[in-house]
Amino acid sequence: MKRLLMNKFVIGLFCTLFTLPVLAQEDELKDLPGFVDFGDLSATYGEPKITINLGGTMLNFVGMMSSSDSQETSDLISKLKGIRVQIYSMAENSDAAKSQFGKTKSHLKTSGWEPIVQINEDDEQVLVYMKSVNGNMEGMTVMVVDDEEAVFVNVIGQLNPAELAKVMDRFDVDVDLDLE
Amino acid sequence: MNEYDDKWEDRINALMDGELSATDAELLKTQASDDHDLACAIIEAYQLQQAMGAIHVERAPDSLRKRLRAIPRKHRPAPAFSLLQPRWAMALAALPLVVIAVSLMRPDTPSASEIAQARQELAIAFAYLDKAKLITGREIESSVGQTMADAVTDSVNRAIKSQNLNSKEKEA
Repeated sequence: MKRLLMNKFVIGLFCTLFTLPVLAQEDELKDLPGFVDFGDLSATYGEPKITINLGGTMLNFVGMMSSSDSQETSDLISKLKGIRVQIYSMAENSDAAKSQFGKTKSHLKTSGWEPIVQINEDDEQVLVYMKSVNGNMEGMTVMVVDDEEAVFVNVIGQLNPAELAKVMDRFDVDVDLDLE
Repeated sequence: MNEYDDKWEDRINALMDGELSATDAELLKTQASDDHDLACAIIEAYQLQQAMGAIHVERAPDSLRKRLRAIPRKHRPAPAFSLLQPRWAMALAALPLVVIAVSLMRPDTPSASEIAQARQELAIAFAYLDKAKLITGREIESSVGQTMADAVTDSVNRAIKSQNLNSKEKEA
């Protein structure tokens, strides 16, 4: 019995050792001024359809990999410290998503974020906020809630949306999005 | 045995225990009828046997019983797991070394497939940002017209670009 407990202890210890770097990276992002906590809607809508958490280290590697293809893309990525995406599919009721949308909006307002674009339609709500510290862009938050899905994007670092279209073609990735 | 010769002692004990054959028992009784000291010894042996039989076995006090029960536990071999045992103490001392070794063994460089996966995730994130940009542009256009939409978009882009320039100047 005691041997079994000891084995469990050793396994638990090693799992903790391997998990610590991942948690440390998440904590590192949380400390950045451009980080936004979107909460968790999985209790209402289940696990997110898409979850993306890219930290500075991984983005550096992606940037280095892209430098041979396009310096423009590499430069754009090099200004990013992290990027996080949560997308939930909503079958019917979007109330929980709209409620979270409102909570996040209130939090952004009180945390020094500036509204760039806000659209409040009956069937669609869009919000783009930007955070700057001492004149430097530290983050951008984009939230889109319509009848089908709730999209939460948090860019930590600097990103000019005008440059996005230029580099999108460089990514040879098939992304199927419904823009209607 | 009232100074009587010890030679009868074994036979009297055997008689008391019922281990003497009927012949020997009869012989002993015959001898006792002629020997007063032997007769007294047999009578005393009977009385002693009856007195012993009359004694009740007293229950020991609980405290004594507990102490008696604890004796086997005290003499049991030491348990296999104890942090004070040398082997476990050595294992604990080696733990920091294991932690350092594991952290050194962990590759800091992601594999090519992990980077490709990250690149794909980044493309998805950019696509959603682009989608939001298109939606906002479309909504502004439908509300205030294309000229104003372009003006708003351009002003936002200029604001962000100027911040980027500001940042570059500070870095320089």
